[in-house]
Amino acid sequence: MNTYLWSFWAILRRQAIELKRYAFNTLSSLVTIYVVFLLLFLGARFVAGGEAVFGDTLEGLIVGFTMWTFALVAYSDVSWAVMREAQQGMLEQLYMSPTGFRWVAISLAVSSFVVSFAFVAPIMGLMMVTTGRYLRLDLPSLLPLLALTLAAVYGIGLAVAGLALVFKRIQAAFQILQFVFVAFLFAPAEPLWAKALPLTWGTELIGRVVVGGTRLAEIPGVDLLLLAANGAFWLGLGILAFGLCERAARRRGLLGHY
Amino acid sequence: MRAGSGTEACALEVKDLVKVYPGRTPVTAVDGVTMQVERGEVVGLLGANGAGKTTIIKIICGLLLPTGGSAKVFGVPCHHRSASRHVSAVLEGSRNVYWRLSVRENLAFFAGLQGMSPRESRARIEELIAFFGLTEKRSAVANKLSQGMKQKLAVACALVRGTELVLLDEPTLGLDVETSHELRGLIAELARSQRRTVLLSSHNMGVVEAVCARVLILARGKVITDDHVDQLLNGFRTRGYRLVLQGELADPVASALQERFSMRQLSSTDHRAELEVEIAPGHDFFELVDLLRGSGVEVDSVSRAEPNLEEVFLRIVRGGKA
Repeated sequence: MNTYLWSFWAILRRQAIELKRYAFNTLSSLVTIYVVFLLLFLGARFVAGGEAVFGDTLEGLIVGFTMWTFALVAYSDVSWAVMREAQQGMLEQLYMSPTGFRWVAISLAVSSFVVSFAFVAPIMGLMMVTTGRYLRLDLPSLLPLLALTLAAVYGIGLAVAGLALVFKRIQAAFQILQFVFVAFLFAPAEPLWAKALPLTWGTELIGRVVVGGTRLAEIPGVDLLLLAANGAFWLGLGILAFGLCERAARRRGLLGHY
Repeated sequence: MRAGSGTEACALEVKDLVKVYPGRTPVTAVDGVTMQVERGEVVGLLGANGAGKTTIIKIICGLLLPTGGSAKVFGVPCHHRSASRHVSAVLEGSRNVYWRLSVRENLAFFAGLQGMSPRESRARIEELIAFFGLTEKRSAVANKLSQGMKQKLAVACALVRGTELVLLDEPTLGLDVETSHELRGLIAELARSQRRTVLLSSHNMGVVEAVCARVLILARGKVITDDHVDQLLNGFRTRGYRLVLQGELADPVASALQERFSMRQLSSTDHRAELEVEIAPGHDFFELVDLLRGSGVEVDSVSRAEPNLEEVFLRIVRGGKA
């Protein structure tokens, strides 16, 4: 077990060092996220005379935008991390880890998420200050919902990462998917089919917590089960797709090339 | 010829290995390779580009799945994840180190990736930094290092894991002569002092000759020779001499030298010729001296022509001996 923990620690530490060493990059990404939010917020206010157009309320915009940021971070942590390692010519070295590449990919994603969380949280605070609307951040209720919602995104990220191993030049599709997430986030959550979509149902439940003040224990069990099933389905599908693509890449000798 | 027989304590066992890259025109990169490497052996894979060296190494690393046959490290099939506990590698074409991390951070990362705690790896990292002469650059970002230092760091990162089997794919490629000599010396020293099993691929004969005790020569995906380096050189040792002559070599003398002593002209100017001759069985050195004495040229120097691995390799792949 220690092997896995130290391997995760090494990856987390590497990412923290790289973020610190390239602080300007990190900072400019954060500023970009905030500027995009500001444009959305000010634009929506200008067009709709003070009413947000994303979601039903201004809180909806904050929740939706924050979830989108989280989704992008989670999605790109997996898929982009694999592409970046391949481009850096380091994928083969990571593949030789005794923990296996799947663990390395998960560690890359989780550690990147932990590091990113430290940055997304202050931005969320800044968004609330900007809009003057303060959400209820009930972390014990919020974190499990966030984890289950993002599990689906990690699944999609893994599938895309697998496809990147085999097909390489898929940046365009990779970028388009980022905007598909917006549609998932703001799709109506009530129809049954929408509960099968990634992000949609989770964002609805998170909205109940941060906007409506509902606690995790007050959410009906069926709703939570649906979210858990959704997360497990997409994550499982992602793992399966990644495994198949990885095998194809090892058969065709594609791990070292980008 | 095959060296390294016996399966007990076998570090690496490759049997009837075949790798065909699929595609519109399938390419057979490895075609029925069988070999064994014992614990502590330092073995070289020699071959021209496309001979199958890198493919074999990548199959052993578990990065490629073979089309047929098997490869095992310490009895574990190479495509199993647990096999990677025994193997580390420096791969040609990969960067092998993170350019944004310092020397020390790279070593710490690779040690951690293998599951070593910082406490466990600290002493080992310091030892490797000192061994590879990177002490002054320990805090320098890899991107700022010279090519030679990057390569040394890559080898150090492969060794930090402490695996018994180390695979080095073209470790001196792209290095200048001096750094290449230094690195090959360090590899040889490491293999000797730490009793690591090393499989080194190169198309640089000097590296293989300096580092490896045994060599496998590959051509078109097949092993065409597997022997100890000194035995291979002995096998090709002839009664050859290298002569430097002053004066002009007349045509009849040149023809006689060609006919009786398989003369090969190495260089020639108006008044100086360098040539190599071979004294075949039934002839002796004095016949050569007599012939030259009568020709009017002056013998400036005579030395024994020892074969090197490059000549042996060329003779083998061109079909001189298998």
